[in-house]
Amino acid sequence: MTSHDVRDVLNLPSNHSAAPRASKKQRTGGPRPNLKGLAREVQNLGGDNPIAIVPEVSFFKKRRFASRKPATRWELKSFTNSARSDDGSLVLRHWKRKSEHGPPPAPAQDGEPEQHEGMVVDGERKDDKPEDSSFAKFNVRVPVPQYNEDQYRANLQSNEWTKEETDYLLEQAKEYDLRWTLIWDRYEFLPEHPQGEETNGTSTAMVSAQKSRTMEDLKARYYEVAAKMMAVQKPAQYMTRPEFELYEMMQNFNAEQERKRKEFALNTMARSKDEAREEESLLLEIKRILARTERFNEERRELYQRLDYPATDSDINSFKSSAGLQALLQNLMSTDKSKKRKSILGPGDGVSPGGAVPGSAVSEGPGHNRRESIAAATANRRDSDVRAGAGASAGARVSAEPTPTSATSAGAAGAANKKKGGAAAAQPERRKLSAHEEQVYGVLYHDRLGSGPTFRYERINKLYSHKSGQQQLRMTNALAELDVPPRLVMPTAAVTAQFEVLWSAVAALVDARKLSDKLEGEIKLEEAKRVERARAREVLGSDGEGEGEGEGGGEGGEEPRKEKKGGGANGEAADEQQEEEQPAAAAGGDKTGEIKEEPGSEKEKEKVASARPGSSSGARKRSASVLSAVSDKSAKRQKK
Amino acid sequence: MAPTTGKRVKGVQIYRPFVYGTTAKPFDEKTNPKPPGVPDDHTHSWTVFVKGIDDVDITYWLRRVQFKLHESIPNHVRMIEGEKSQPFTLSETGWGEFEIAIKLYYVAESAEKPQTLYHHLRLHPYGRTEEEKETMRLNGGQVISWAYEEQLFNEPYEPFYEILTSGAMPASHAGGGGGGGNKGGSKGGGGGKSKEKEQAVKMVRSEGGVLERSAMIPLANRPGQPFSRETEQVEIKKLQEALVKVEELMTKTKEEVAGKEKRLKELKAESGK
Repeated sequence: MTSHDVRDVLNLPSNHSAAPRASKKQRTGGPRPNLKGLAREVQNLGGDNPIAIVPEVSFFKKRRFASRKPATRWELKSFTNSARSDDGSLVLRHWKRKSEHGPPPAPAQDGEPEQHEGMVVDGERKDDKPEDSSFAKFNVRVPVPQYNEDQYRANLQSNEWTKEETDYLLEQAKEYDLRWTLIWDRYEFLPEHPQGEETNGTSTAMVSAQKSRTMEDLKARYYEVAAKMMAVQKPAQYMTRPEFELYEMMQNFNAEQERKRKEFALNTMARSKDEAREEESLLLEIKRILARTERFNEERRELYQRLDYPATDSDINSFKSSAGLQALLQNLMSTDKSKKRKSILGPGDGVSPGGAVPGSAVSEGPGHNRRESIAAATANRRDSDVRAGAGASAGARVSAEPTPTSATSAGAAGAANKKKGGAAAAQPERRKLSAHEEQVYGVLYHDRLGSGPTFRYERINKLYSHKSGQQQLRMTNALAELDVPPRLVMPTAAVTAQFEVLWSAVAALVDARKLSDKLEGEIKLEEAKRVERARAREVLGSDGEGEGEGEGGGEGGEEPRKEKKGGGANGEAADEQQEEEQPAAAAGGDKTGEIKEEPGSEKEKEKVASARPGSSSGARKRSASVLSAVSDKSAKRQKK
Repeated sequence: MAPTTGKRVKGVQIYRPFVYGTTAKPFDEKTNPKPPGVPDDHTHSWTVFVKGIDDVDITYWLRRVQFKLHESIPNHVRMIEGEKSQPFTLSETGWGEFEIAIKLYYVAESAEKPQTLYHHLRLHPYGRTEEEKETMRLNGGQVISWAYEEQLFNEPYEPFYEILTSGAMPASHAGGGGGGGNKGGSKGGGGGKSKEKEQAVKMVRSEGGVLERSAMIPLANRPGQPFSRETEQVEIKKLQEALVKVEELMTKTKEEVAGKEKRLKELKAESGK
């Protein structure tokens, strides 16, 4: 039965022309001589694809003379090892296969490494610098955290460790590549004044000079330093996963635990066979006991639940109607629920029966307190709440006579750590976030918040909107002069906080300037008054003497300031009434000096607040008028 | 909002940084040819967007965004629904600048009302100096006007709080993790189930090292991502410098005021004579 027959049965078009003939050919060709042992039937099983049995041709492998290359050349080459600290002064030699491209190029002949050549015994080849050993790359140093003075002061201060000792520790760690046993073994830190007790700081040195450090101490300090420096270089939330894992591992290193672990390990190693057997049996025993107590506790709890009944200190009449009964049922259900949650919360409740007995009164109590205490935290009504809490616990005590302890303790706890404990107790179901998570998720805690979504920039907008229109303008001008962009580029928490500081400073500045302006206005007014008065007096005064002086004064007023000052002084000096004139001149000089300063500062102000272009010119004018007033005054005095 | 949302989580504020703004590009024969059907007077194509910082997904807190364009634009109120890890973008063509009202609709779990931001579309660089103008130009004549903003969720509802504080990284074990709360041991029992589920959370980082679903900001600037801790530090420094300047001016002004007060006193005393 060949495949041909199968085709026939299935009515498939048989490809008479090609396949059978080919197979025949194959049969006749290759395999026949080799398949002598096979029966025809067996051979037919293969159908069109005859069974391929490739006869193993056994002949000897040719010897590999195929490549007629010349034998590889080896040469004695000198090499250095950069891992050595002697800077390549030791040159050794080894055999190396010569490179394919023949001898190295000639121009390198007179190379620089002459000092090496001297070392090489038969320096016939002067060409190449001895190459670096291929094993130099295994010279790896452990990266040890680095810190500078400031960083140490900011992050790494410790009561236990001085900076010198920390330095020493890190040096040792580097030296011995963090092999702690070695580090511990060699660790011999001596504080500044070596007092000769270098033998072994076992008993005497313990007092002050030399502290003996255990390996755990060393590790703890090292990991502390390393973790802190890691965090300094890269905030925790930006670390990649492995980095963070390393960081966390280093941070969570617990020296005490490590010590205990080793102690235990030592003990386990040291025990005898009998002891080991005994321990095993004890362990089994404990397991059994634990299992039994668990069952026992469960049963006891059930029993207590069965004994539980609602407090009946209130009027029963309200439960007599069907609606009242319904309410009672609801009540019982809810207390049941809260009890269940409580039993999860505190395992202590199951043991002391008092926690469950007082029913609604107690199970309501803590919840009540929680809410109250939050209210207290926000609204500062603490006192009244303490009283309320105390009242609640007292009420609980009345109804729960047998064991008032748990009720009172709950009340006391609620009252004691009101803010923190209260908040924690209020949301027992909520997940507790670690500090790291809080950073990653941007969770912040505030005492007082208006709920709902807002934007960070809103705060700054509010700063603006709290000011009047004119003030706003002034503030924006001032800020623009300070080169603060009109909108913060990145209103993050830190930036907005900084901006608020700046804002209040600028607001104070604007206010101060306003005051300054006001004062200036008043000064102007006063001066104007005085000029008026002086003029009035001049009119009243005697004409003959007054004229010349008055003219001089007037002239002075119109002249530029400096000249006038000098001129005024000269004129005054030339005059003969020295006694009165001298102080007046001095006063005038002082005042002009003082006033002359003002425009300068005024100009600077103008630089800052370009909003008031008129003021400076006004100031200049005013100062001129002030000067003229001064000269008027001096003239007046002279007149006297 | 219809779904029951539980209570607000008191005293908690959660923020999420995001970026919004516009990118405009003038029409140009070669680089930005005018597509058919655009009116002749339109000079620019522009895009307004709201997206996460460093292009992280924000659709887990932002459901959709409404862009209110100028009334002259047909169909000027456009609603863009959020698509996972896609920014909210809207592209248009035009010739004029105007203010766009961007209304953010939060996910249903948040049960919060939508909030509105305003952004001025810029087609031309704007600034006091050439340098400032230059900062608004991005490669190839694009005019950008981007703003960084932080969305603050004050006292979110509990389900939303859950959303906002999960997903970026595996939840820490109760009691462990950076010296955090270890008293959560017994109390955290209620959240145990969700924790186990979150153990499978993988930490996915964007190119700038920002975890998905976190409130992080990249450490350093990259082309096209101008907002980072680096920029923040620069700005803080700038503000501090300004503060120093203000303080200097303040002392000066105070001196001035003192001098003036003295002078006024003198004058008054004189006039009182």
